[in-house]
Amino acid sequence: MRRLAFLLPFALVLLGWQALGSSGLAPPEVLPSVAAVAHALADLLGGSEIYLNIGVTLARCFTGLAVGCLLGIPLGVAMASSRRIDGFFGPLITATYALPKTAVVPLFILWFGVGLRTEVAAVTLSALLPLVIYSYHGVRAVPGPLLWSAAAMGTGRVAMHWRILLPAAMRPTLTGVRTALGFSFIIGIATEMLAANLGIGKLIFQYGESGSYDYMFAAVLALMSVVYGIDAALLRLINHLLRWQDDDRAGAARG
Amino acid sequence: MMTARGPRVVERIARLYPLLLLALLWEAVTRLHLVPPLFLPPLSVVLASLPQLLAQGDLAMPLLISLYRAAIGLVIAGVLGILLGLLIARVRWARLLFAPLVAFGAPAPKIAFLPVFILWFGIGHVSKIALVALTSIFPFIFAAQDGAEAVPRQQIWAAQAMGTGPWRLLAGVLLPAALPALFSGLRIALPYAIVTAFTAEMIAGGGGLGGALVMAQRYFETPTVYADIVVMLAVGYLLDIGLLALRHRWLRWQEESNDAPN
Amino acid sequence: MQADEPGSLPKISITSLTRVFDTGGSRLAALGPVDLTVRPGEFVSIVGPSGCGKSTLLYMLGGFLQPSSGSLLADGRPITGPGVDRGIVFQEYALFPWLTVADNIAYGLRMKRMQAGELRDRVAAAIAMIGLGGFEHRFPRELSGGMKQRVALARTFIYDPQILLLDEPFGALDSQTRELMQDELLALWRSTGKTVLMVTHDVAEAVYLSNRVCVMSQRPGRVVAQFPISLDHDKGREAVMLSDQYRALHDQVWLEVRRQVGGKG
Repeated sequence: MRRLAFLLPFALVLLGWQALGSSGLAPPEVLPSVAAVAHALADLLGGSEIYLNIGVTLARCFTGLAVGCLLGIPLGVAMASSRRIDGFFGPLITATYALPKTAVVPLFILWFGVGLRTEVAAVTLSALLPLVIYSYHGVRAVPGPLLWSAAAMGTGRVAMHWRILLPAAMRPTLTGVRTALGFSFIIGIATEMLAANLGIGKLIFQYGESGSYDYMFAAVLALMSVVYGIDAALLRLINHLLRWQDDDRAGAARG
Repeated sequence: MMTARGPRVVERIARLYPLLLLALLWEAVTRLHLVPPLFLPPLSVVLASLPQLLAQGDLAMPLLISLYRAAIGLVIAGVLGILLGLLIARVRWARLLFAPLVAFGAPAPKIAFLPVFILWFGIGHVSKIALVALTSIFPFIFAAQDGAEAVPRQQIWAAQAMGTGPWRLLAGVLLPAALPALFSGLRIALPYAIVTAFTAEMIAGGGGLGGALVMAQRYFETPTVYADIVVMLAVGYLLDIGLLALRHRWLRWQEESNDAPN
Repeated sequence: MQADEPGSLPKISITSLTRVFDTGGSRLAALGPVDLTVRPGEFVSIVGPSGCGKSTLLYMLGGFLQPSSGSLLADGRPITGPGVDRGIVFQEYALFPWLTVADNIAYGLRMKRMQAGELRDRVAAAIAMIGLGGFEHRFPRELSGGMKQRVALARTFIYDPQILLLDEPFGALDSQTRELMQDELLALWRSTGKTVLMVTHDVAEAVYLSNRVCVMSQRPGRVVAQFPISLDHDKGREAVMLSDQYRALHDQVWLEVRRQVGGKG
């Protein structure tokens, strides 16, 4: 019943879309009909092109995100626990957080050429900042008494990091991961549109330039669904990992 | 206090030593020819090119175009997003109708709609403005919804008991109550808007600072590429500072504890 | 009750202890100078106006904050940092929310690298003692305030620190639960003979539980009065609370605290 209620608005959108086309308000060369897009979608799903391109995009984004996590989370934690490290990296982060990460892509193309390295470098860069900032604030927000009672019970320096700080700062850190995931897709697809031979961003752009608008719409829909599915899966994983926390899930739902 | 100010300014500047270090490193590796100037021109060359670019109008005009697109898109996103958010928070049919669409659209990489908007609106201003609006509407929706949902029920009941109609309730009670949350939303949406404008221009052309950047890269005018990036960075930074100053003026009564770390 | 013979080495000794906070340029004297000695097995409470630095004193004993001047000895050795000889219980429980009740209680023993079999038995015994059987695998968020504080006490008692530092341990509980927990603490203390230093703002609680109540002045807090107490707890709570001896002591301490709140020290 709830699932049905969730789907209803989408049905209404399709209905409105169809009405726009049938009434002649939107000619098919501007808005392809629902049937044409559905047909294109079926065709795409039957072939291998869409899977290959989405797969390539996902592989690049996840690689960049993973590198970002490996660099960003330890850096955020280190900054939060050492004043000297904070003093060094803090100004660098303040100075670069306003930088539109896409602007660096032409430089990466210059340095690395068109291809995997540029893609992954750009995604890593975009993922880095939310990961550093959220894990930093997460560790800084761990209540003092929690650290103190752990210390009083004989927790050493190393154990303090993985036994106390890691779980205590888990929610903000995972929110950072989720934010970084969103950034990864944006920059990954933008980079593909700027310079790439493969990838869903490139594919959508190609369909647009060649006038295959029904396929362009179908590819956009497919991409949206995949990203929505990945985000929902991550959210479920986060809520599972944080099942011990006070019920405040709405807060985690959006990051 | 006057005596304390002098050393404190010095101290504050001294804290920026990592930036100075980075600048020196940049200058050193380029002057020692460790990196080809085509990849990385010396910092001094980039900075020296700024006045010339400014004088020729090669920076100001494209920047104004980008900011214009970002601003119009942001205003559209603000008006529609706040209205949607308030409706979703308080009106049942609006929640049923819009909440699923918002949930589906929020995580989507909006940049994928650029080819669609180019088809509909061409490669001029409108497609970029549309993409900016689509990207930055979501922070406004969530902020307005959160802000309106946080209003205590007794306050709403009191307003209704005094004869406040539904639209007056939205505009007169819920909107002001959501103002601090909306400010936080604006702080998230503003960089989205600017970045989206630059990015759309980089991909689709049609002028603006993003377009200028890509053109400079194509013609291997590397100092100009860096100069454009420096300007983008400065604009984002200054706008954020300006926003915080505004918040300080308007919302001084509101504690900033629930600021998104963004 | 406990070893009280003169000449026995003090468990805690505090000499000319002060603490100054740096608040953006101006320096704020928060505490002291404080002089205080606690004998082994003694239960000492500290009461005083809010902001007098009594919690700061406790945190320095825990080794979480460093003194600005003066000396701080536990068992004759200077306190340089947190140590397993001093356990602490906070008002907000400070349980680890990602660990179950059993894992929270086991934490200190795990840090001591106790082997699994013995650890399991000890934890089971502790859970039975605090009456939380059946709640072993619950997370702290599923517990009431009183249950949380029982877990916090159990996880501190179980790894057997010689000194217990209690920071307003029952301040967040409703009054019925608070009384119940006070009696449980009393029973635990009497059966283990630990040295307890408790900070509280509840005069009745301090007088009811302690061997000695210290009253502190307003900030910067100093110990301005000490009241030795010997109530016969074998008679039970009602009898003690209704006794003239208790009432007289309560009124003395209460008046002294009132004086400190009202006067300028």
